[in-house]
Amino acid sequence: MTKKMIDFPAFLASMAHDMKNSLGMLLNTLGEVTDVCKADNCPSHRHLTQIQYEATRVTNNLVQLLTLYKMDNDQFSVNISQYPVAELIGETVLQNRPLLDFKGIELVTECDEDLIWFFDRELVSGVVNNVLNNAFRYAKTRIKIRAVEDKGRLVLSIEDDGGGYPASMLGEDVGATGVNFRTGSTGLGLYFASLLAAMHKNKGREGSIALSNGGEYGGGCFTITLP
Amino acid sequence: MSIDFKNKKFLVVDDFSEFRRLMRRMLESLGVRDIDDASGGEIAIQKMKTKAYDIILCDYNLGYGKKDGQQILEEAKHRGLVRYSTVFIMLTAENTMPMVMGAVEYQPDDYLIKPITKEILTLRLEKNIRRKEDSEVIERAIRKNEYTRAIALCDELILKNPKNRLEYLRVKSDLYLSTGRYSEATAVFEEVLSMRDILWARMGLGKVYFLSGEHVRAKEIFQSLVEENKTLMEAYDWLAKTLEAMGSLEEAQKVLISATEISPKAILRHQAIGKISYRIEDYDTAGQAFKSAISIGKHSCFKSPSDYTGLAKTLVNKDSSGEALSVLGEARKEFKGDSDAMLQTAVTEGLVFKKMNREEDARNAVQEASKLMDGYSGSIPLEATMDLAKVCFDLGEKEAGLKFIQNVMRNNHDNDKVVKMVRDVFKEANLEKEGEDLIIAAKTELLKLNNKGVGLAEEGKLEEAIEYFEKAVRVFPDNKIVNANAAQVLIMHIKKNGRNDKHLYKVSQYLDRIRKIDPSYDRYKELLDVYEKLMTAGAKPQA
Repeated sequence: MTKKMIDFPAFLASMAHDMKNSLGMLLNTLGEVTDVCKADNCPSHRHLTQIQYEATRVTNNLVQLLTLYKMDNDQFSVNISQYPVAELIGETVLQNRPLLDFKGIELVTECDEDLIWFFDRELVSGVVNNVLNNAFRYAKTRIKIRAVEDKGRLVLSIEDDGGGYPASMLGEDVGATGVNFRTGSTGLGLYFASLLAAMHKNKGREGSIALSNGGEYGGGCFTITLP
Repeated sequence: MSIDFKNKKFLVVDDFSEFRRLMRRMLESLGVRDIDDASGGEIAIQKMKTKAYDIILCDYNLGYGKKDGQQILEEAKHRGLVRYSTVFIMLTAENTMPMVMGAVEYQPDDYLIKPITKEILTLRLEKNIRRKEDSEVIERAIRKNEYTRAIALCDELILKNPKNRLEYLRVKSDLYLSTGRYSEATAVFEEVLSMRDILWARMGLGKVYFLSGEHVRAKEIFQSLVEENKTLMEAYDWLAKTLEAMGSLEEAQKVLISATEISPKAILRHQAIGKISYRIEDYDTAGQAFKSAISIGKHSCFKSPSDYTGLAKTLVNKDSSGEALSVLGEARKEFKGDSDAMLQTAVTEGLVFKKMNREEDARNAVQEASKLMDGYSGSIPLEATMDLAKVCFDLGEKEAGLKFIQNVMRNNHDNDKVVKMVRDVFKEANLEKEGEDLIIAAKTELLKLNNKGVGLAEEGKLEEAIEYFEKAVRVFPDNKIVNANAAQVLIMHIKKNGRNDKHLYKVSQYLDRIRKIDPSYDRYKELLDVYEKLMTAGAKPQA
């Protein structure tokens, strides 16, 4: 029996944690610099926004990694409570506002102010953030976030007017089949989203995600359904 | 509608100076002027003592081996440094939050995940301040011990603000629980659970079962909660409590130890492990647990002299009496000026000296303890008194021992658990006959005492009855029947002679004491209802 020198996953998690903290500081400082830059009408502010975008992506990935590590080690529990859905969407949009403005993407939200639902706020906002971050990369001019209650489930979708998802990724249960660890493609985000969706259980049903193309804007459409 | 927080007093707690500077700049850019910061728990608590902050932004992870944000919150609340209107927001570096599950009693108002943006911070600050303003009426009712009204206010707020329904249902269920209205609490938990499997509602149901003595059902609930949520620490504690009540002490100990593996810093849990291990004579584990409690306690407001006395008693059983004495010496230093701690220490010294056959020293310790006991006011320290009686019996000072136990009995003549403890002490000392006599005498004495006071009231001598029970309450502060009668005669006086604010205040104090002794006591609810009616009836009409 070979004995490992180090507990690699734990080591990785600890490194990821540290990296994420540094990135957090970087992002905050960057935000301040960008604000000043913008106010001064400095031309580099476009580049700064691009850096901000990429740093946010790395942060999101690290967060996912850490969450997966915790799930794997039984250190994770969902914390479900009841929240206004519009509030959740509002916060996410607000966080992504500078980037959207920068790229000139119009964002439309469709959600009844009185719609409240049960979910883990941090988890779901993480998922929406990631999807929005992606949509931002592919969208041309428009993104729409829509939330409705349908047959006792919350259906939250994010669609854009970009080129859509590749055919191989379409359909339901994307999380389970869509990850290819060998190619290391964008699968992690979706896998993560599907795991988190499934952790939302109610009366024998569990949450899921689905990808489709077309829709109102003709681009990609991500849907998360929570019972 | 935006809420102005520019004039609020802020405290930022984080171990990284760069982050503190960043938060300061962010807050300043939002127009905030009064910003203090702290790099760790000790400084934060120090600052909270000298300034009443409106908003506290506290990082969860403040460095290895340091107090974490949850502990700061617990300490601040425990010491009364956080007012109801204070907004306490926990900053965390991750979106996974095992600490959410930590201590439900001490939840922060909100969590914010780093990196924090100005926009989100603004939104959350506004939301939390508004929420506090909305529910302040409930808090005010609770402060006046008007629980029934507080519960009614929850219903009003649910109607007014259905989006926060769950939150108010939670407050409502807490109020039912703390006033012993278990069937009403159950109804709320079941209502919530019919909507969704919400952890606190399941916990609540388990608590109700435990409190109403349905241990098997309570155990089932807590067990399933622990299995499904490894980080729900509160469920471990209640499971252990339930197992202990069922007499499965070994199992309870196992549950607590497994909880410590997940959350190693909780001092109260180490104390519980120490006590239970001592009871099952697992002195190795007990010793370790008390030592952990002592070392964590150095920086905690939850440190207790019983950590030291527990360790000393454990050491005696491991034939290390000398070490036991030095532990007690440390306790004397650590708790200098605290008469409750000195009492416990002196009693335990008596036990240790007796064990070492140093009778003279044991007698001296007992004498010191007796003196402290005579000067004691307020609630009787049960464990210390029982131990004191034990040493007295061991030293052959039967009369002194009987006197101490008599005091306990007079305060708890209707408390079966205490009566059982008393019987055990007598059995151990081979004084069963004397014990039974004493128990009966105490019961008879209290019956007579209560009858006499009630008799005075019935004869219409209300002033006399009030004075009589006031005196009785001072002598028997932990006796719920005496407290209830003291409240009752005051109420009779108000009903006859009109509202009297001083009397009403006293009634509320007695009621609160009964609630703490036994919230499910049937007379408590009756008296509470009458009290609240009197409060409303006499209140000036709202403008």
